[in-house]
Amino acid sequence: MDRLLVVRCPDLLAEDEGGATWRAFVEVLTAVEAYCPWVTPVRPGICSLPARGPARYFGGEEALADLVHDAASRVTPAEVGIADGLFAAVLAARRGEVVPAGGAAAFLSPLPVGILGQPELAELLDRLGIRTLGEFAALPDADVLGRFGAEGAHGHRVAGGRSGELADLRQPRLARLLAGGTAPADPVVAEVGFWGGVSDADARATRCLVAAQELLGPDAVVTAHLQGGRSPAEQFRLVTWTTGSRPTGAPSGTGAPWPGRIPPPAPAVVHPDPVRADLADARGEPVRVSSRGLLTAAPDRVSVEGGPWEPLSGWAGPWPADERWWSRSRRRAARLQAVTARSAHLLLAERGRWWVEATYG
Amino acid sequence: MFVTEPDQRRTRHRDPASLAALTALGERTRPIAASRTRLLPVAPPLAGLLPDGALRRGTTLTVGGPGDDGALSLALALVAAASATGSWCALVGHPGLGAVAAGDLGIDLGRLALLPRPGPAWAEATAAVLEGVDLVVLCPPFPPRHAMARRLVARARERRAVLVVVPGRAGWPEPPDLQLRIDGVTWEGVDAGEGHLRRRRMTVTVAGRRSAARPTRRRLWLPDPDGAVSDAGTED
Repeated sequence: MDRLLVVRCPDLLAEDEGGATWRAFVEVLTAVEAYCPWVTPVRPGICSLPARGPARYFGGEEALADLVHDAASRVTPAEVGIADGLFAAVLAARRGEVVPAGGAAAFLSPLPVGILGQPELAELLDRLGIRTLGEFAALPDADVLGRFGAEGAHGHRVAGGRSGELADLRQPRLARLLAGGTAPADPVVAEVGFWGGVSDADARATRCLVAAQELLGPDAVVTAHLQGGRSPAEQFRLVTWTTGSRPTGAPSGTGAPWPGRIPPPAPAVVHPDPVRADLADARGEPVRVSSRGLLTAAPDRVSVEGGPWEPLSGWAGPWPADERWWSRSRRRAARLQAVTARSAHLLLAERGRWWVEATYG
Repeated sequence: MFVTEPDQRRTRHRDPASLAALTALGERTRPIAASRTRLLPVAPPLAGLLPDGALRRGTTLTVGGPGDDGALSLALALVAAASATGSWCALVGHPGLGAVAAGDLGIDLGRLALLPRPGPAWAEATAAVLEGVDLVVLCPPFPPRHAMARRLVARARERRAVLVVVPGRAGWPEPPDLQLRIDGVTWEGVDAGEGHLRRRRMTVTVAGRRSAARPTRRRLWLPDPDGAVSDAGTED
């Protein structure tokens, strides 16, 4: 499960008529982004970012939480927390805590069952005398599945800290709404008969993927859906695989022109966690992107995550990266392709730092 | 009445409309038929690399090179044609697949299961997936023990799946049926600040235990400017 930092802004959880809360939320996203370019809006007033990489860079998780808290608090009152998985991280933010890695189960244990947001389940459990997530998590898997069904079983995994998030935790299409653009249509989902409505291959695959989910947890098996976007990471999203549904037809929005998109071919590896890079010129001086979107010097070598310097055999760019889709202020961001003897990377420069966004692996 | 029935059936089969319907039915059930064949198709530029001109069910391949540059792309390119004809694929142990690149290679993303972070139970998860998925690309997150690797190879053989291992830094202790090695990787399209990455040339050498005892070498564009794989001519 991913270590996630969550920022929760209590005053921005509900929309107002004039859109002032959304503007403030966009400001929060922009402020938080200084610490990590991979900020994801979860619902109005709540956003998350992967904590591992930035925590290494900014001197630990507590230090990162403090920095992000200060940045967000300049816009609006904010609560910040870090934990494994989105569910625990949102609750950690409400308490302003950093829950240690592997400590989600203990952290969730004393909380009431109702916090899972499944009132019928909570009522049934209450009748059985089960009132906390810890008591719920202690029930055997098989009993929970038999008695409360798939949804209950998933809540059970979340309660035990074995699964990171509930199905309805994220507000879909929030990013597009924030961008002020049109929301993409829901992907067309075709129901596939469980035992081979489409093909024997589908039925066999379904059975073994269910087995893999039983082994690793439902979140562990995902599929990729293409969507429109500029950066390699925005052009698809990962969705937890479920039985009986698969996308059909062309995904919406991918055919539209996206100004600022790096031309094909696409990179085979898109790093899910931020990866730091350093870029230097022939004299070893750091290369930056100037306020006019130009490089301060010709890059000569690159180092990834503090690794050894590797000479560049070629490079291209910089291309101005359009400001992040929610941001209304101009940004000094740029992308650069850098080729070494071992690999080719797509680098992203933001606020004086370089990140490896993708690798042509 | 019982006697005439077979005759009627034979007559119906001679009817061109029925034949067309049967052909259509055959097409629709092709994935079932394919599961009984020994070979799974590969893209034409890769056929010359493989002793059967296709992937043989039940075998294990490894894909690697000195820098592992291009190893994931080649592994995905190998499974793409089978994916496009209805086979399921899985990628186990790679946390950051660029899905657009996979789609451009021809992989049906609706039939590609990703297990990005299987954790310590990665071998069990791979074994489970081999039960019902035709082509499994495995990037072992931890160095596999000998017995573990042997069990997965045996599972692929039993289930008549194809296991494509990208050993990376973790390594793979078991000799595969076919070993694909990448070298001579060069990118075209970028200079000092000019252009953009257009295509990558690589030389792939295939060595094997059985029918492929003599190594075969091919030069490929992978990706080519469309993100697919194409032939870059034979070695000079």
